[in-house]
Amino acid sequence: MTQLTIQTKKNSSAGAGIVIRIIRQWQMQLMVLPALALIFVFNYLPMYGVLTAFKDYNLIKGFNASPWVGFKHFEAFFESPDFLKVMRNTLVISGLKFFIGFPAPIVLALMLNEVRHRFFKRFVQSVSYLPYFISWVIVAGFISSMLSIDNGSVNILLQKLKLIDEPLSFLSMPQYFWTILITANIWKDIGFNSIVFLAAIAGIDQTMYEAAEVDGASKFKQMFLITLPSIMPVVIIFMILAIGNLLNAGFEDILLLAKNPILWNVSDVLDTYVFRIGIENLRYSFATAIGLFRAVISVALLVFANLIARRYGSSLW
Amino acid sequence: MTGMSKKKAMLTTAAALLTLTTVLAGCGGGNSGNSSSPSSTSSSSSASGSTETPSNGEAPATPVSDIFELGSEPLNLKFYAHYDWFSMAPWGQDISSKWIKDNKKVNIEYIPSGNNAQQKLNTMLAGKDLPDLIWFNRGAAEFEMMRKNDMLAPIDDYIDKYPNMKKWVPEELRNMLRSEDGKLYQFPNWYTNKPVGNAGWIINKKIYKELGSPKLETTEDLYSYAKLVKEKYPGVTPIESDLAIDGQLLDVLYSAFEENALNRWVGDRARPKDGVMTSIFNDPTYRESMKFAAQLYREKLMTQDAFSQTRDQVKEKILNGEVAVYASINATEFAREGQALLSAQDPEAGYEMIWPIAKPGLDRNKIFPGTYTYLGWNIITITKSTPDPEKAFAFLDWFTGPEAQSVLMWGPPGEFWDEFKDVDGVPTPVFNENYVKKQKELVDLQAITTWYTWNGNAVFTDKTKGDYESTLPEQDRNWETSQQYNIAWRTQGEATEFVNLEPAKDSDEGIKQTAVEDIWDKSRAEALMNTKSDADVDRILDKAHEDAMKVGYQDVLDFKTKKWHENRKAMGRE
Repeated sequence: MTQLTIQTKKNSSAGAGIVIRIIRQWQMQLMVLPALALIFVFNYLPMYGVLTAFKDYNLIKGFNASPWVGFKHFEAFFESPDFLKVMRNTLVISGLKFFIGFPAPIVLALMLNEVRHRFFKRFVQSVSYLPYFISWVIVAGFISSMLSIDNGSVNILLQKLKLIDEPLSFLSMPQYFWTILITANIWKDIGFNSIVFLAAIAGIDQTMYEAAEVDGASKFKQMFLITLPSIMPVVIIFMILAIGNLLNAGFEDILLLAKNPILWNVSDVLDTYVFRIGIENLRYSFATAIGLFRAVISVALLVFANLIARRYGSSLW
Repeated sequence: MTGMSKKKAMLTTAAALLTLTTVLAGCGGGNSGNSSSPSSTSSSSSASGSTETPSNGEAPATPVSDIFELGSEPLNLKFYAHYDWFSMAPWGQDISSKWIKDNKKVNIEYIPSGNNAQQKLNTMLAGKDLPDLIWFNRGAAEFEMMRKNDMLAPIDDYIDKYPNMKKWVPEELRNMLRSEDGKLYQFPNWYTNKPVGNAGWIINKKIYKELGSPKLETTEDLYSYAKLVKEKYPGVTPIESDLAIDGQLLDVLYSAFEENALNRWVGDRARPKDGVMTSIFNDPTYRESMKFAAQLYREKLMTQDAFSQTRDQVKEKILNGEVAVYASINATEFAREGQALLSAQDPEAGYEMIWPIAKPGLDRNKIFPGTYTYLGWNIITITKSTPDPEKAFAFLDWFTGPEAQSVLMWGPPGEFWDEFKDVDGVPTPVFNENYVKKQKELVDLQAITTWYTWNGNAVFTDKTKGDYESTLPEQDRNWETSQQYNIAWRTQGEATEFVNLEPAKDSDEGIKQTAVEDIWDKSRAEALMNTKSDADVDRILDKAHEDAMKVGYQDVLDFKTKKWHENRKAMGRE
């Protein structure tokens, strides 16, 4: 990765020579062209759509005929009484997802790596990544019936264990919502997200472990001194991406689990807010403005995270 | 993957589609422009889909006296229903629509919403590629948007030329449906002249009997009955709330605390008082009903998952007989299935409707757990994309008449009825023995044709069905029909003057209404679940009122007051 960056830097510093170089490699450049065109057409061209945020977009009049309104929609959002609450929830929920949800698959991968029995290892791996393929609608259905008061299995269990006297309405209690949400997320994604770390672990040179064993390192020592440092570059790259996603607290999971309005004070995040106030009410410009605001912050976070990572030698670019 | 990127994708696709369709429209114009001017006036897009429209170039050239006789030439119409859940069977495969296709030469081309109605319609709007007929909720934001942008065809000119709308939809109702510009763009569905609806109270017969059939007339009776159920039947929900976010039990309860109160006011978030709309949060009846509901909730006498349960969970409880009392705006829907299941195992078990519950001292004959409007449910409209709006209207006018309604409800002649006889000037089907003998076939047919009933004429069908069924012995009537005749239809309140009070969603009032709506939802859940006393309920509703006023509730109320008086004027009530 680092080598690659250095090389491109050298190339660009060559200046005028670059044109000649490109002409010389024209066959190869031709091969890159379709990919560039694809990115241009589908990722850059539609970007003019963000201008919707500065207009009063009217579906029928169309994009061009809708009037320009400057920062009106941004102001409406920043001045809204919900702004602070929505930002807080977004940061808290995505923060929890980051600090708990991000390390969880790494821990699972490390644990699975220590399993000696091959068949058992495969079995656990398969079982743990299956939930990833279940849609949130169904997962939310499970959770809501498991946590319900009437015949909810969790309440029955807790009552039988004499931990509670009366069944609790978990999905109506704001204090439990973050826990339920994060737990559900981890359960759903942990297996799938651990695959990449398992792959990284599989790529570690086995002779290092042999050498460590000869030196008398315990299993734990091996894990912390060989396995973890070896997969660190992968971990850091995924962490940078996760930081760029910090304002992305989730959407379907929250929308489906927080049906009770009593939870909205703790559950409303940017995406659900945009959906309820913007999209459902045909306020496309307002929705785009919030989306753009979020995108700008996300890019800033990504650049910042990458800057820090570069100091430690394993950055994205 | 995430919501936001989906939404972005949606927006960009819409944008991309927009540019694409402009390009395509340009091409289309060039191709078809043999001699006619390639102006963008009449719909070049949908003309290609319709059959034989030779004189499309000069659209309004037909002589005014000339009425379009259905069946004189094939008529092809594209139909779109603006609902996620809508998915009708292909036209012409069942006996009813086949009869219409064969005898009236009408073919309906159905455009599916693909479970995402808003996106589908937006795409059609942005691409200016519209169907001939659109079926909407009354007052849908998109309807108003289309009307303002001159995409809908007014039907005023045709009403007098064709018999049925003029006869069956009274002038006052048509006036109420008129848009701001004074023109009529919509045809109502299931308009009626008498109460309909299934709102009310249902009890579990078996539990009720086993507990000694105590008096169940007042809110106090209800409270003590619920306590008895909780004590004797630990696994049973004493009072099932259905989905509290939609009102349901809470709205039905509202009606118990005031004579002639309409829970439509709760739905409108506006309480009429001395000719103006006032804050629902300060409505004494609303407060009293919420205090009662909160008490039921605190004492675990009503569903504890009221705001978080799903419809499936509600249904499961009712079908298993685990509910003692159930109140809902559409109470017979699940109870009908529960009744069939439970009574099959034990003839004593099942559900039945009871006369509405009232606060002690109130006249129970003036309590209305649900409302109905003469305008019925939703509306169908003709777009300007149709080659000849008059032909589309001629079809709709016939479609709401006795002939078409009979074919839709009871099949073509020779199935469940044989011929028409004249009853007070109305052709009325004479039913044959199949009506009772082949009930299952009839229900199966109606399950299909109900999707084709876009401007249903409840005035005609309810009367015809009611008159005929009243001649049948009790065991031949179905459970739901008898609940409706005995109680439900006698206890629904008339609320026609309160329709269409909603501001357009992207208007100033609409944006304020959305903000109020948020406060409303939260305050209702908190008042129900987070309170320990009546004073707490008052405190939460006081705060909700203040917060709502801060985001512009008063403007919303003023808007509704204005609309309400317009309705009353249109109906000749003031």
